[in-house]
Amino acid sequence: MSALDPRREDESPKWGPRESMRLLNHEFVRVDAVDKVTGRARYTHDVRLPGMLFAKFLGCPIAHAEVKVDVTAAKALPGVVEVRVVREGEIRFLGQPVAVVAAKTREAADDALRAIKLEITPLPFAVTHAQSLAANAPKVGRNGNTSKVNEDGDGAQVAEAFKRCERVVEATYEVPIQHHACLETHGVVVDVPTADSGTVFHSTQATYGSANEFKGPLKVKQVEVVNEYMGGGFGAKFEAGVEGRVACELARELQAPIHLMLSRRDEFLIAGNRSGCVQTLKLGGSKDGKLLALEASVDKLGGLGGGSHGGFPFHYEVETSHSSTRSVYTNLDSNRAMRAPGHPQAAFGMESIVDELAYALGIDLLEIRKRNAESDVHRRQLDRVAREIGWFEHAHKNAPDLSDATRKVGIGFGLSDWGAGGGPACKVTVEISSDGSVRASVGSQDLGTGVRTYVAAIVAEELGLPLAGVTARVGRTSYGAANASGGSTTTGSLAPAVKDAAFNARRAFAAALAKTLKSDANDLSFDTEGVLDAKSKRRLSWRDACATLGPTGVSATGEWKEGLSSNVIHGAQAARVEVDTRTGEIKVLKMVCMQDCGLPLNRTAVRSQINGGMVQALSYALFEERVIEPDLGIAMNANFEDYKLAASKEMPEMVAIIDDEDTRGVIGIAEATIVPGHAAIANAIHNACGVRLRTMPLTPDKLLMGLAALKPLKPLKKD
Amino acid sequence: MADPERSGVDLSRRVFLKSAGGLAAGGALGESALAATNSGLFGDGVERLTGEVEIELTLNGAARKVKVEPRTTLLSALRDRLEPPLSGAKLVCDMGSCGACTVHVDGKPAYACLLLAVDCVGKKLKTIEGLAQGDVLHPLQTAFCEHDALMCGFCTPGFLMSISACLDTKPTATLDEIKESCAGNVCRCGTYPHIFEAAVAAQRVLAGGKR
Ligand code: FES
Ligand code: FES
Repeated sequence: MSALDPRREDESPKWGPRESMRLLNHEFVRVDAVDKVTGRARYTHDVRLPGMLFAKFLGCPIAHAEVKVDVTAAKALPGVVEVRVVREGEIRFLGQPVAVVAAKTREAADDALRAIKLEITPLPFAVTHAQSLAANAPKVGRNGNTSKVNEDGDGAQVAEAFKRCERVVEATYEVPIQHHACLETHGVVVDVPTADSGTVFHSTQATYGSANEFKGPLKVKQVEVVNEYMGGGFGAKFEAGVEGRVACELARELQAPIHLMLSRRDEFLIAGNRSGCVQTLKLGGSKDGKLLALEASVDKLGGLGGGSHGGFPFHYEVETSHSSTRSVYTNLDSNRAMRAPGHPQAAFGMESIVDELAYALGIDLLEIRKRNAESDVHRRQLDRVAREIGWFEHAHKNAPDLSDATRKVGIGFGLSDWGAGGGPACKVTVEISSDGSVRASVGSQDLGTGVRTYVAAIVAEELGLPLAGVTARVGRTSYGAANASGGSTTTGSLAPAVKDAAFNARRAFAAALAKTLKSDANDLSFDTEGVLDAKSKRRLSWRDACATLGPTGVSATGEWKEGLSSNVIHGAQAARVEVDTRTGEIKVLKMVCMQDCGLPLNRTAVRSQINGGMVQALSYALFEERVIEPDLGIAMNANFEDYKLAASKEMPEMVAIIDDEDTRGVIGIAEATIVPGHAAIANAIHNACGVRLRTMPLTPDKLLMGLAALKPLKPLKKD
Repeated sequence: MADPERSGVDLSRRVFLKSAGGLAAGGALGESALAATNSGLFGDGVERLTGEVEIELTLNGAARKVKVEPRTTLLSALRDRLEPPLSGAKLVCDMGSCGACTVHVDGKPAYACLLLAVDCVGKKLKTIEGLAQGDVLHPLQTAFCEHDALMCGFCTPGFLMSISACLDTKPTATLDEIKESCAGNVCRCGTYPHIFEAAVAAQRVLAGGKR
């Protein structure tokens, strides 16, 4: 029986055996690829409406101030339609918008920004960890500069356990604030609302949810949010934000469409970030490398927000552990979720200290991980990435290379896991028309992960059609309920609902067809050749079969069903790095990631996701850091010139391996892939030359300082 | 006027250029393009343009009229002023550090956010919308699709314009030269490995070989 055999009538939808799949679990081209390579894909940034005004924010240039805004001169400029105060009085974070302008052209909007008069009274501020914790620090948070300490585990027990350890290592690891750096900045284009409804084009990870946020400022009952293409989100784009609220107010009051996309500078300063942290870890192990005791103290740095941290012992089993975690506040914008919130920070601390302990004990870096990893999946993945990176031929498995060579190569490892999963949230519609066309509509957004493509593929697979036989529509509130794309839950929530809708559409089609053909719906099966009636052996092409449908065709909806999705995924990564001990140059030569993800819907897109995680981790490792001048409280690198992202010349060889031993249902993959890569790179640097870099980013100057400390320079001999 | 340092407005050199009103050296504009403008000669040999002027750009092989200010960038002219707009080139950094706005000017890749539209009169401009020949994709576009060299797609037009300029002028470019050609482009989604695969595959097609 084929996977599409109608005799499964009373069963619920199932993915069926992977061997019989034509599309899913295969490699195929994204259905929107052509729109993206021709420039036809229309993003929120690209929306142009008649009479549309360009709106821009003016932000407070310092971290803490009392601000008065005078808009008179700005308002009088030609082409400027409106200039208004967004916020006056105490400004609590760097870049907070104080005024907004709306003008007929971008140039006029810039003129208006320059003509706004700000009267600024600087107030004492804290923009660094040390400033916030200083004895005479200004008050930053509403209730002081730190949160209450969150304790986990039994400290006394851990202190006891340290006594039993063969070796104990202790170190402090620092992670800077990172930016999401979506190429498309946050923002909206708001059309003029009617009496009771409005339309907002929004670059958002929560198309369906954000509609509610716009109702208030638009003063309407119904809002259609449109988000057909978006230029990245990575966790920063869940809310309407101040830009969404202000743009709605302007559109309603000025009766003109408003285009308000944040400037790159604003994007850096007010649109979220991955919190930094300062974490002190103490780890002890037995002679044979069993992890026995871990004591951790973590300060999270998320500006005025709480920050996030993945917690310890992080993917490793440690006999007993205790951690104390708190937030330290600064006069910077709040952190937001960012791809695997808190996990990369924790990975840097944990993977580093596991290595430090392995060296102290003289144990193989791969072995100590396999001995203590939480899961057997991690163990098999570690073996595979070790083979791929060349570990078994590598000379320095339990001690770094301390030779006098000037170019030295090291290897490092790291692990990840992520809950992902999914649940009831999405409502999907599949329509089959009498002309043979098939349309699937979902409210969910496609962040670049490939949602539109797998929606089409799931339906095509179920109906026996080629991928091009199904049109997928995504990213509109009216297409149906959908969850926000957070925590890698889009696939786990949406794909089962699409499958259910396609399954229901197929059954409805079979029932309608059976009536016309005077046969039994249970005898009708759909495959690439069309419809076959098992009893009469009669065959109809897909087109002819559809032609029997009335003008309304067949339509069915679907919802999430138990058993089609699963949760908790695992990954292992390895990095091979070359360092130049004369210049401090750090070159990542190769990265490998093996990742499970249940049923891979589109193997090409899954590999792209895995690569993307590794690339972002590499960039985080080597370059990324928000820099705020500590004495002036001003931004030093709120632009793409000074905030460096890894690009073509830094790219190593990359190997993305899908773990095919995982036979579960669908699971989202995005977050897990970004978790351990930077930690693997830091470990590889140490393995290469014996310098442990404990403060990210891992830059040549830090490496040279480390090398100098390792081997003090001899004074030049006079002759 | 507020001190720009205090108002948080970035006063980089280029911003200054764009906000100070355009100075176009005499002859930089095509004669015909200037006919209906309100430019004036001040006797110092420098032609000053103020307000809006209508210019004609040669875009993807067609003459397109567009009203710009002397300080309007080519990118803004394409995206914000042309009717209908050409929005394939993206505004990302607005300062020449991301490559998302890359177009071809007389066959060479250039950042459209760093060019004044008035300086592009008389030059052959190609944007991502003109990379395909009608419905036939450029081999690099096809290869980008086939190798999944795109995710969100926001950087994609820029990468395509940078690399296609490289392959068109040097079909035998090495992988390092291809990487160099797009070293001024950034992709936050991290599609680089697939971009390189696609570029190499396109090279084979351009050389007359198989995919
Ligand atoms: S927008 Fe022109 S280079 Fe970034
Ligand atoms: S594909 Fe998203 S930035 Fe390149």
